Amino acid sequence: MRSKKPAAAVAAAVCGSLALAACGGGGPSSGGGKLSNDKVVLGLLNDQSGVYKDLSGPNAKIAIQMAIDDYKAKYGAKAVAKTIEIVTADHQNKPDIANTKAQEMYDRQNADVILDVPTSSAALAVASQAKAKKKLFIDVTAGTTKLTGSACNKYTYAWAYDTAMLAKGTGTTVVKKGGKSWSIVYPDYAFGQDMQKSFTKAVTDAGGTVQQNIPTPFPNDNFATFITKAASTNPKVIGIMAAGGDLINFVKQYNQAGMQSKAQLAVGLMFITDIHSLGVDQFAGTSFTDPWYWNLDAKNRAWADKFQAKTNTRPSFAHAGNYSAAMNYLEAVQAAGTDASEAVIKALDGKKINDIFLRNGEVRSDHRVIHDVYLAKVKSKNQVKEPWDYEQIVETIPAADAFEPVSPDCHM
Amino acid sequence: MLENRVLEIDGLSAWYGEARVLTDVSLSVHEGEVVTLVGRNGAGKTTLLRSVMGLHRQIEGTVRFAGTELGRRSPDARARAGLGWVPDDRGIYASLTVSENLLLPPVVHPDGWSLEQVYQAFPVLADRRSSMGTQLSGGEQQMLAIARVLRMGSRLLLLDEPSEGLAPVIVQRIGAIIREIKAAGVAVLLVEQNVKFAATVADRHYLLAQGRVVESLDNDSFQARESELLTYLGM
Amino acid sequence: MSAFVQYTLQGLAAGGFYALAALGLAVIFGVLGVVNFSHGACYMLGAVAAAVLLDVVGMHFWVALVVVPILLFVVGVLMERLLVRWLLRLDPLYNFLLTFGLSLILVDVVKRRYGVSGLPYERPAGLDGQLHIGALGLSTYQVFACLFSFLICGLVWLLLTRTRVGMIVRASTEDAERTRALGINVGRWVTPVFGFGIALAGLAGVMAAPFRAITADMGSNFVIILFAVVVIGGLGSILGAVVAGFLVGLVEAYGQAYAPAFAQVVIFVLMAGVVLFRPAGLFGREETA
Repeated sequence: MRSKKPAAAVAAAVCGSLALAACGGGGPSSGGGKLSNDKVVLGLLNDQSGVYKDLSGPNAKIAIQMAIDDYKAKYGAKAVAKTIEIVTADHQNKPDIANTKAQEMYDRQNADVILDVPTSSAALAVASQAKAKKKLFIDVTAGTTKLTGSACNKYTYAWAYDTAMLAKGTGTTVVKKGGKSWSIVYPDYAFGQDMQKSFTKAVTDAGGTVQQNIPTPFPNDNFATFITKAASTNPKVIGIMAAGGDLINFVKQYNQAGMQSKAQLAVGLMFITDIHSLGVDQFAGTSFTDPWYWNLDAKNRAWADKFQAKTNTRPSFAHAGNYSAAMNYLEAVQAAGTDASEAVIKALDGKKINDIFLRNGEVRSDHRVIHDVYLAKVKSKNQVKEPWDYEQIVETIPAADAFEPVSPDCHM
Repeated sequence: MLENRVLEIDGLSAWYGEARVLTDVSLSVHEGEVVTLVGRNGAGKTTLLRSVMGLHRQIEGTVRFAGTELGRRSPDARARAGLGWVPDDRGIYASLTVSENLLLPPVVHPDGWSLEQVYQAFPVLADRRSSMGTQLSGGEQQMLAIARVLRMGSRLLLLDEPSEGLAPVIVQRIGAIIREIKAAGVAVLLVEQNVKFAATVADRHYLLAQGRVVESLDNDSFQARESELLTYLGM
Repeated sequence: MSAFVQYTLQGLAAGGFYALAALGLAVIFGVLGVVNFSHGACYMLGAVAAAVLLDVVGMHFWVALVVVPILLFVVGVLMERLLVRWLLRLDPLYNFLLTFGLSLILVDVVKRRYGVSGLPYERPAGLDGQLHIGALGLSTYQVFACLFSFLICGLVWLLLTRTRVGMIVRASTEDAERTRALGINVGRWVTPVFGFGIALAGLAGVMAAPFRAITADMGSNFVIILFAVVVIGGLGSILGAVVAGFLVGLVEAYGQAYAPAFAQVVIFVLMAGVVLFRPAGLFGREETA
């Protein structure tokens, strides 16, 4: 607690000075020529140093650069965007920092689009900036359904996943496969509560029952008691909605308590980087929904190989998602012949996409990009044949079933 | 005369931040002598003892012990040189037993009492040797604190109000102990407010008021002026 | 009933971590008067060191339990010699700020070197699974964590009560100034005691490695609870740190089991209660004026 005060003061000072700088930076340029400032500027705003650094972080810039290279190679001299720049910033997962950084990107660095933005509260802040500045925002790593619900707007797209999709994918599919009784353990804050609601709905809709909902403190490093409690009603499935370090704590202690043989573990939100950091044997047998997996097929693998050549690691869904978002943005600029927001939106909306990230993808009217997603099971150690070979795809959930229908709360 | 001065304080001034609590104090204690420092609360008596022990370091002036200038020497070096401090709160360790309290400080002089001698002189400590220090009564704690520095073999005892808060019969016992110590050739600098008690044990007296030595008396004239001094001290 | 026994065991196991680390904190505070904010970071270093040693040289958990505390002892000695020592004469606030800054640096260095999403650690053989005592299935690791921290606390207790070094540490913990005035060179014990305190934090870290997320931030929350523990036990009280460590573990477990919404608050309510009725903590002594 003590520790947060000075940090907040510094943050406030930084934000203040940035806001001043942004004010002096002049208004947005009007679309006189084909391209504003004769170039296209892609803004990458994400977590460069915190918990989501490995998930997207600095390597997302490399993925975006790959998109730029592919775009230039594809169109050569005919490319509308001759000069393409990437600007990056670290929002430290804080909505206030995300807000000022987004402002700075749009106003001073002339970003035409902001990409990525993990952490729901930060993404919501950027979405409202996008609306105010009439510039694009393509969310890849934030999972809140509000971006395409009550907070939706014409300039904001949700490219990869959301919490409702995770719940639908994992909840529905696991129930259908026989896991009918659930105990749900969730961290007691906005994200955890959202996930708990979505999962309860998905499980009940599919004909299952949720026996217990157990809130836990956040952050928390000792889950032993909660695990005992969750197991007390002998559920077939224990669902854990924690993320990051808390998820790792939970799973380690779940295995340690010898729970693997008693109940199936379903994880609400899990990334391949979590499996990597904990070691595959800790997660073995765990079910979760993944928007993309690098080793799904030859096409994904080919892209993952190119990515690995540049980064020395395998891509997460966030890396591929950022590539896809950047590539399709540039394609839309190409189609529109300009980077003016309205024209680019027109080119994107309703577009059907099949690329290395999206299968049967479609940009829906609420700017939710729907696509096939996958119910995955973590492999056991002896099934793993190479580094990062962690997931066994149990089922492909078709685009039409994977996401919730257009929300009645969204008015653009 | 000079060579048998155990303690010699010359022009000692002490401060707490900006506040001066001792001004130009000079006094001496000779071998085998019991000297008291009499004064009201806040006269600077305890600060003087702490300055001699090296615990209060914001000072000017010189303190010489057994002919050696102490300068900036650390408290533990002073204790090992033969200064035995008995603080006004007695300084008994609650987390140490009675015998551990006795055994904690190093023996610094061959004349130091053995544990057997201590227990002989203070049978009550022998009976309670395994009790935790602060389970003792006030008088027993005072005896333990004195016994502790005797075991070290200190050459000069700095006793800070040993009679304070004790029943008269215990005060008498403490007086007897001080006389025994003196008989054994150990010098004592005694801080006291109890003038009657001081008169029963001491050879000489210094009167401290507002951080200055205002008078130096031998015990006869001290006793003669006892009632005057009592009034002066507000007792 | 069986659930209650399990909650109790879980509480004692979690309390073992607090007790070990708080013991180190209490000894350091007692002898040096330093409130070591970097204790959480040192706990983290212990876990990270165990994970790195397992990865690089294949060091087994049981070996790490011995080796890592020794490494952390060296870290502690360096910290004390190079930094802490120079501020000991100043207001204790300076060393609090120094160790606070130091913990930020340590956390960031680990983040930079090993990333943020955590390090893997294989479950040590022998600690997996459950012990069946009658109808009761108890987690082997928790039984181990519980017994092992009892054992270490017991050994430290013997060291403190049965040896001359221990006597000096106890005396200095109670009143360092008085102990100096009784002829003991407390300064000579300052470095080893600091190292020892840090080693205990590191030991707690190794114990945590197999069953908690090993991340650079793992100590940040831990250290806050740790301060609650030493406040409850009485700042500078060695027995208080141990008892309060287990007490906080139990209170946390029961709170999580029976009042989950208040699980995290309950420790601080306990702390507030103790401070209100016994300002010096359960085992602390009131300062005499």
